[in-house]
Amino acid sequence: MTKYILRRILGWALMIVLATNLTYFLASSFLDPRANYLQRRPPVPEFAVNANLTRFNLNDQEPLLHRWWDWISAIVVHWNWGASPEGASVNDQVATRIWVSAEFVLGATVLTTLIGVALGVFTASRQYKASDRVLQQVSVVTLNIPTPVMALAAVVAGIALNNALGRTVLFVSGSGSVGTQGFLHGLLDGLQHLVLPTVTLVVTGYAGYHFLQRALLLDNIGADYVRTARAKGLTKATAIRRHALPTSIIPVATSVAFSIPGIFTGAVIAETIFGWEGMGRYFVTTISKNDIHGAVAVAAFGAVVTAIGAVLSDVVVGALDPRVRVS
Amino acid sequence: MTNQALPTEVAGDGVMSTMGNTFEAPARRGTRKWRLYSKRFLRNRMAVVGVLVFVLIALFGIIGGHLVPWTYSDVDFLAIGTGPSREHWFGTNGSGNDLYAQLAHGIQRSLTIGVLVSLCTTAVAAFVGSIAAYVGGRTERIVLEVIHFLLVVPSFLILALVSNSVNGDWRMLIVVLVLFGWMYYARVVWTMAMSLREREYVAAARYMGLGPAAVVLRHIVPNIGSMLTIHFTLGVVTTIQAETGLSFLGFGVKTPDVSLGALIGDGSSQLYSAPWQFWFPAVTLTLLTVSMAFVADGLRDALDPNSQAGGHA
Repeated sequence: MTKYILRRILGWALMIVLATNLTYFLASSFLDPRANYLQRRPPVPEFAVNANLTRFNLNDQEPLLHRWWDWISAIVVHWNWGASPEGASVNDQVATRIWVSAEFVLGATVLTTLIGVALGVFTASRQYKASDRVLQQVSVVTLNIPTPVMALAAVVAGIALNNALGRTVLFVSGSGSVGTQGFLHGLLDGLQHLVLPTVTLVVTGYAGYHFLQRALLLDNIGADYVRTARAKGLTKATAIRRHALPTSIIPVATSVAFSIPGIFTGAVIAETIFGWEGMGRYFVTTISKNDIHGAVAVAAFGAVVTAIGAVLSDVVVGALDPRVRVS
Repeated sequence: MTNQALPTEVAGDGVMSTMGNTFEAPARRGTRKWRLYSKRFLRNRMAVVGVLVFVLIALFGIIGGHLVPWTYSDVDFLAIGTGPSREHWFGTNGSGNDLYAQLAHGIQRSLTIGVLVSLCTTAVAAFVGSIAAYVGGRTERIVLEVIHFLLVVPSFLILALVSNSVNGDWRMLIVVLVLFGWMYYARVVWTMAMSLREREYVAAARYMGLGPAAVVLRHIVPNIGSMLTIHFTLGVVTTIQAETGLSFLGFGVKTPDVSLGALIGDGSSQLYSAPWQFWFPAVTLTLLTVSMAFVADGLRDALDPNSQAGGHA
């Protein structure tokens, strides 16, 4: 098992390298830093544009392979991911943003999965009873509220709450206040900023796990081996927990792992509306500003996150399903 | 999961024949099966309501645009950013476009993208995932490597890059959404099919001399059918949501073309000053996606023989 996991990690590392390089070539052919200078008034002379672009290794008049070699060797030797067309270091930009996003996304991911799976199990074992029908219909509605609508509704609700209480309890913009002193105050301040964006992601996200877990568990509750377990004298709850749940949670574990990049990109919208300077917002900025190196760094980060999720999923599936032969 | 394993129990009145009389007239058997499905579907009241709402919205998208003198690209310079009136039923936007006509066109565009993308991704995912799990060996390894590689390549980034450079051409959007949309489902299907390939009836089919494609299509895919149905219907919703997100950020369908996502993106910046620009498309989108989800639920009740929705067979 350990050997298998190690081999998988090695395979994923190779794929991250491949994907990052592929994205470099894609971004180089689709993004055009030169266009940034064309809109300048007064116009910038061409030699100045070329000098600037060459300085940051973005000049499209140089052969692509030369640029690629300079870019990749800078990463390998100095861990330097290059600069934006304006000269800002990608390393500096990403260093702070990763933690802003991590804080934002991690809490939402954990809450979303826990609430969704718990509701799925709860409603599947009470199929077609009143509680199942009500919860299901609530989830249908929440799942289908578009993220922008939900985020804006959260903003409106937050402002209404603050007005009703006469002071700012929940912040609707930014990830933290400037000049907060002390650990406890900092924590409280962070939480005050975190509540509304997290609620947005959780409310729009949990229902997916609810339905998936419910559907899969129901497929298994009706299966012969669960009926056999009941016939042996197990209570319904025990039969579900010991026999139906382990089988049905396997695809859910897979989907949790691969939904991490999705949640990450989904957070882009929430980050935009709530004014968080995270990776998601950085990604939008890099594309609209033709920042090749920045976009590739975001891609590499996304690949790493996916790989971590996939390896974790392999571990969980391997532990749950003895039939999955690890060769 | 055991749908196939319990053919005689599916219908108490003996609708489905057991293996002994498969030479019975297939047409009759098929008709009975569909009658049973529709009977079970109609029992789910919310699903019926969902179908009605969905049909109404789709009809609005198809013929609604012909009921007013405006088209989605017409500009009325005498009514810029005005609220709902007799002239413009749903008001106009900041450029003077009639919102009713735009909404009808947006529904058409979003539905086309959603249905086509979901259909393609579900079909590709079901086939590729099951074949990989069933055949095993080198094929499985290669397919999984390809899936993993495509999953690592950040599809959202490529989507944004490509749709940015084709200036919001919706056909290119479909191609890219399918190209980078099937892998995730394929991996889920693969995990489920891995468990299925160990089942006795799959082994039996194999020993009877059925080829891999036949085993996958007749025995593995039908057994994950309820999941695929849910995935297809929810896939439409997911695609429309993805398109909403892309358009909201300015990467999806762009002016002069209009989709529900683009309309919501435009309207969200006017939430307080011109609320109708936001709420009409937002409510329409929510109704569309909610109704589809209820249809998915009803389909599950109808297709899954283990379903006990509102009584037996």
